[in-house]
Amino acid sequence: MNLARRICTIRHPTVSRKFVRNLRISVVNYESAQATQPQVKEEKFDFEDLKVIERTERRKPKIKPFMKDVFVSVFNKELLAFPEVLNKEESENLDQRIAALDRVFSDPEKSRDDRKTALKRTLMYAAPVSLTNNGLAMNVTEGIRYLEVISSDLTLGQEVSDHWVGLEALRRGLEVDQYQQIVDDLITGDRNISLCIKERVAERIAQADFRTTAELDGQGIWRITGEKVCQKADGYMLVLSSIEAGRLKAFLVHPGVSGVTHSGNFVSFLRTPATPLSVISEEALAQTLSLSRLYAATLCRVGLQRALRACLEYIQPRAFSGKPLSELSTIRATIGDALLDLYASESSEYFTAGLMDGYEEPDAELEMAMCRNFMANHGLSSMLRLLAIPALEKELECKQILDDMRNLAARGDSLDGINMFIALNGIHHAGKMMAEEIKQIRNPLFHPTFIFKKVLANRKQEKDDPKLNLFLIEYLHPTLKQPSEQLEYCVLRMRYACETLMSRHGVNVGTAFTELNRLAEAATEILAMTAVLARASRSYCIGLRNAELEMKMAACFVDVSKDKVRKLIKEIDDGEYLNLDRFRVSFGKRYLENSSDFVEKPTARTFW
Amino acid sequence: MAAKILRTLLRTKPTNLMMKRFESTEKRVVTFDPFGNKPQKNKKSYLEVIKMFEGRDIRRRGHVEFIYAALSKMREFGVQKDLEVYKALIDVLPKGKFIPTNIFQAEFMHYPKQQQCAVDLLEQMEDNGVIPDSEVEQMLLNIFGRRGIPLRKFWRMLYWMPKFKNLSPWYLPSELPNDTLELAKLAIQRITSVDPGTAVDVWQTEEIEASLDKTWIVSAQSEIQKVLLEEQPPEEPLVIKGPFDVYLRDQVVTYFTLLGKTRQEVEDDKDPDDVSNIEKPPGIPGYLGSTKLPSVKCTVHEQDDGTIVAVCATGTSSRDSLLSWIRLLEKNGNQVLSKIPVIFTLTAPPSDIATQETQIATDEKSSVNQ
Repeated sequence: MNLARRICTIRHPTVSRKFVRNLRISVVNYESAQATQPQVKEEKFDFEDLKVIERTERRKPKIKPFMKDVFVSVFNKELLAFPEVLNKEESENLDQRIAALDRVFSDPEKSRDDRKTALKRTLMYAAPVSLTNNGLAMNVTEGIRYLEVISSDLTLGQEVSDHWVGLEALRRGLEVDQYQQIVDDLITGDRNISLCIKERVAERIAQADFRTTAELDGQGIWRITGEKVCQKADGYMLVLSSIEAGRLKAFLVHPGVSGVTHSGNFVSFLRTPATPLSVISEEALAQTLSLSRLYAATLCRVGLQRALRACLEYIQPRAFSGKPLSELSTIRATIGDALLDLYASESSEYFTAGLMDGYEEPDAELEMAMCRNFMANHGLSSMLRLLAIPALEKELECKQILDDMRNLAARGDSLDGINMFIALNGIHHAGKMMAEEIKQIRNPLFHPTFIFKKVLANRKQEKDDPKLNLFLIEYLHPTLKQPSEQLEYCVLRMRYACETLMSRHGVNVGTAFTELNRLAEAATEILAMTAVLARASRSYCIGLRNAELEMKMAACFVDVSKDKVRKLIKEIDDGEYLNLDRFRVSFGKRYLENSSDFVEKPTARTFW
Repeated sequence: MAAKILRTLLRTKPTNLMMKRFESTEKRVVTFDPFGNKPQKNKKSYLEVIKMFEGRDIRRRGHVEFIYAALSKMREFGVQKDLEVYKALIDVLPKGKFIPTNIFQAEFMHYPKQQQCAVDLLEQMEDNGVIPDSEVEQMLLNIFGRRGIPLRKFWRMLYWMPKFKNLSPWYLPSELPNDTLELAKLAIQRITSVDPGTAVDVWQTEEIEASLDKTWIVSAQSEIQKVLLEEQPPEEPLVIKGPFDVYLRDQVVTYFTLLGKTRQEVEDDKDPDDVSNIEKPPGIPGYLGSTKLPSVKCTVHEQDDGTIVAVCATGTSSRDSLLSWIRLLEKNGNQVLSKIPVIFTLTAPPSDIATQETQIATDEKSSVNQ
């Protein structure tokens, strides 16, 4: 992100000037590194061209990855001060735009075309593009705010969020002159960028998982062949495909080129000419594209909010036993649960966005994936409970809401896939730090003294009662003492869980899928707990309206989550026989192998 | 005289006394064979004999001997698996007479010979896998009472027998088909159940004009096996191995396998304890898996002695029918077989092959050019 902004700021050919500007920005960074609070800096003017005004760089220097460190029970306490990214002026601009959008999007009378016009008018299609290219140079926090409003029309929400991610990838991936050539066409809003990454699952054993390939033809043009999951194929398409030696590269397919056919949810390419995103590396591409996960979380959250509103409309005019239906405490509790989920998800999204916007070279892939999984997972179950309230009345509306949510939860990639990504990244990070220790644990007879020490050191962990030595409460409002200790407990258990997993499976830990799933879920809960506590503490300290409710919500949420994490890590510690994984897996295997139910009916007999 | 008797009694241990009693009865069992003169040996005539015995004498004298004789003739009449017949035999025993009426009778095996006879009958049922039902229980109750040994045997049987019956993971119908083709299908389905994607086909050798044996072939091949066959190196010959036996209860079916080369083993020289660089996924949303296929041994069909690319059973198990099988496989979606040579290594060919060919082909290898 930071690199991108630098490129935007400096659009001058000569190296010497670039050097000077680079230096200048690093000086700015140096200053901001000293500051504990975000500072409002003067806008920078390029005196050669007065029209060139860029957003100021206010990010703090790079920090260690937050959630990855949590896997080894290292907690960056600075982050418990909820990130504040926007300054007064930016915040006002943002509110104005949001108000303008909201007028159109909250009005059910307006058609989709009206909404599109509003989006164009507020420059939403150009939002992530730099100011010099007639964009808004939007950061992630603003993106989420905009998306919350836009995604009240879900189709538009998905379209815009994909477009934003696509724009960002193009800006970082294309050569500067290529980018300048097409950027004006991209931001008009008529032809959006859609992401074509996912493919069908292989139907034959002889098919690779990822089959789209790109080759250079005789004239030096890249040509793509393959099939992708994509709902819309009338604009630009960002296609991921493999090139020689199994490497991956993204390509931009322009609208109206040859060899593109679209049917249903699939689009297929046959020797389609495409522009390669040659500047960006595979890792950077992954980071840029994973922003779509964060946006997916926002979309899911708005979906849940819609369900909540539908419930409200249903409950308010109805009565039960001569009293309003809304007085039933079961209904109130269900709604309360949904609100907790919404609160936690919203907190973690803005928290993650704060990480992205507040620090240089952010490594927040894991956090974004966690936001997405948290909301998709909790959102679906919470929505099912909510929609059980209207039961079979309001059938159509409920069906639509549920279907949208299911689509969103499965969009991009599956829950399990993301869980694996989270857990393996965490374990990878933990493995680097704990390699020596694990080696000794796995070869106990070579290291008797170490094992003796380890047994002593782990005795509290084995009793499920780690010594709380992080003192998180020092960074939160004092009334949050108990929740902060619960969070501390969870964080401290993570290292033990990683240690258990790695010492049990060694380098093959990547194949212990069910246990990794638990680890990922536990880590996801920890992110949500951190975000919720930080947010509630901030709200209460600065005295926001209803902040005391927020404190209660935070305490409730953390209490529930702590139990979940405790259980998950206990199960990891227990191993596959005690947590019954072994058996669950074998039942599934049996069913898949027999392709039928293997249990006899309860009326069956063996003798008469 | 009385003193002599008393002395003998005192000298004998009480247990010996009991055993002696059994011994003497065992020895005096005279086999009475009313079954020998029946011209037709089937269930109907068997039941007729039992009816005749019941009607002959109101006291049913010699019923224990009769039951033993009847039990020994069951296989001859082909009724050893028929619950109804066993019931008819139990029904021969008189009702009510053997039920103990006091605690001593109950404790010291009332009517031991008869009880032993009923236990032997139940034992024969167990050996033949016939599960008794609650009617048998009622009959035994009426004959021996709640405390009879046969009842205890019966209850144990009812606990264990259904368990043993369902012990095999491969389900078979309670009565096996008499047709060999159907049997072969069952057998091939059983041995190919490792891969749920296996398709079992029945082909006739008539489809191949050059075939000598006109018979059926039950062939099984899954999609995975087809792919593995396609990827076989063309210069390496495939091998037909067999015949192997598969047992379906008391029936045997012979089958043959077509073996190819196995891909190389997974080479894993990583240190299993070194976790400093655990593999992690690339993390592009929507991108899962890999762009390449593994080129190492990874399917269930790849065994140590080779890759099993197809399995079959033929009506004659002859070499000619196997040749037809290869041609039929080629015809049904395995074009690659026209290029790869196939070797027959039939270790002990059935006798009928020897009659078709002029020489006896034991332990020989002959290459067949396609």
